[in-house]
Amino acid sequence: MTIDFTDIVIVAGNYGSGKTETAINLAAACRKTGRSVAIADLDLVNPYFRTREATIPLEAMGIQVVLPDRQYLFADLPILAPAVADILRQPADVTILDAGGDDVGVTVLASLAAVLKNKPVRMLQVINAFRPFTRDVAGCLKIRKEIEASGKITITGLVSNANLMDATSVEHIYQGYDLVQQVSAHTGLPVEFITATPEIRSQLDLNRITCPVLTIDRHLLPPWKHTGTRPGSHTILNT
Amino acid sequence: MAKVLMKGNEAIGEAAIRAGCKNYFAYPITPQSEVAEYLAKRLPEEGGVFLQGESEVAVGYMIFGAAGAGERVMTTSSSPGISLMSEALSYIAAAQCPAVFVNIMRGGPGLGGILPSQGDYFQATKGGGHGDYHLLVLAPDGVQEAVEMTMQAFTLAEKYRNPVMIMGDGLIGQMMEPVEFPDDLKTEPTNKDDWATNGMAHRKSKKRNLVKSLFLDPTALNENNLVLKAKYAQMKKEEVQYELVNADTDYQVLITSYGTMSRVCRTAIDMLKEEGIEVAMLRPKTLFPFPEKAVFDASGKESCKAVISIEMSMGQMVEDVERCVKGRKPVEFYGECGGDIPSPEKIIEIIKALL
Repeated sequence: MTIDFTDIVIVAGNYGSGKTETAINLAAACRKTGRSVAIADLDLVNPYFRTREATIPLEAMGIQVVLPDRQYLFADLPILAPAVADILRQPADVTILDAGGDDVGVTVLASLAAVLKNKPVRMLQVINAFRPFTRDVAGCLKIRKEIEASGKITITGLVSNANLMDATSVEHIYQGYDLVQQVSAHTGLPVEFITATPEIRSQLDLNRITCPVLTIDRHLLPPWKHTGTRPGSHTILNT
Repeated sequence: MAKVLMKGNEAIGEAAIRAGCKNYFAYPITPQSEVAEYLAKRLPEEGGVFLQGESEVAVGYMIFGAAGAGERVMTTSSSPGISLMSEALSYIAAAQCPAVFVNIMRGGPGLGGILPSQGDYFQATKGGGHGDYHLLVLAPDGVQEAVEMTMQAFTLAEKYRNPVMIMGDGLIGQMMEPVEFPDDLKTEPTNKDDWATNGMAHRKSKKRNLVKSLFLDPTALNENNLVLKAKYAQMKKEEVQYELVNADTDYQVLITSYGTMSRVCRTAIDMLKEEGIEVAMLRPKTLFPFPEKAVFDASGKESCKAVISIEMSMGQMVEDVERCVKGRKPVEFYGECGGDIPSPEKIIEIIKALL
């Protein structure tokens, strides 16, 4: 099973669910199929660990990265780059919008409603079963409702990004998968894919999982894990 | 409770709840606003109160009010916000009230930037506000330790009837790590009836308490300062916390570093070890009281050629390190403070230059 997305994909979810890491790796996976890919950082909420910090590896893969103006890259201001509307008017084969967290983070989508209208849009809710407010079905449904109300857009699919960072085990992936399956049963929304790091993925019993698995190569690491060739998160954009 | 994945800021909020804190007043500022966001959701569920003040100045005095009434109370802010609260901190220390202040530091001076920094070491450990007072200052190096220290901060604040500060930097606040919460804090503030303005109704004694920082009589003012001085001396005796890394080796260099910066140094120490170069680190977990004797002792090891303080500042803790090494080894400094955290490779390069 592979992920075969086209057109516009919006990655949303509760705060800290792993939207950005998911969006970055989704962009890479789509690019590997030979399609043209653009990714836009719409995170107006989070001050650190944003898509913009992975610009260099993304661009090296031939992915177009749409960012706020350079002078505002390290700001905590709600700036929506005009280039985002442009990329939606003339999308790539796959155009990924990495939205901010919670209902507040998707407010920006409402301002893009006119451009998004009548376009095929896949709107994903990313769920990490080990985050405080999405540990059960009720929590996931509440977040879904809030995101839809605030973004004025309907969620069309679910993603499990179950993880405890380095402490993640295969069992955690199954637990997260089971939770999104339950959310799926309640909502009728499909589980589009789940995520796993390469090490965890190799240990998964794929017969237990009936959706694609997106491999996650972590890009947003704290500085003490940036050893070797990869530059520090914030130094990327200062070079 | 099983492990959850939390941002440092959220974890600090949850830890306060588990410490029995029902009062949280704050004003939003990057990079700590998630504490307020989290507690705005969680505190009402626990029968607690979150109030957003109209400014950090107001928040400082809301904390003073609640603390004076003997309530567990916390605020969180980031560097410029803490500057605005410094007057209240001085008043609270003078009036001997327990309260927890969290500083998720960002770059300064002035408005600076929103990225992580450790530029408020002087402010936290040497004053900030006016007069002869100290905060007890705890510096976590990750999300789990931030949880433990936040809970501990309430106990320490009550033990000494003195404000306690948690010094995190932006990265500690923003990063996510798996955390486990210890059991809820069961203790209640002791002897509240002796000092807090917590109402007369339930009391046997008819003695009225007065919470104040004004002592016009010179003898009374001097006496209050002597009481404070004795508390700080007791803190130095009883509350020093630090961690030694790789110190059982014949290390050639001793690093002093805390918080996020110490995590990078730890990686560098591991990498240097693979090359056969032994370097140790002393990580203060309390910035006040400072681990004076431990720094002196660790720097005295015969194999140790130099001590280097590595900070996300232009050189602040290094002054305490120099003071404690007492001239018996050269004390060097390396720091950056724009928000770009030095990489492990950079630290290795700096260390090698000392060999």
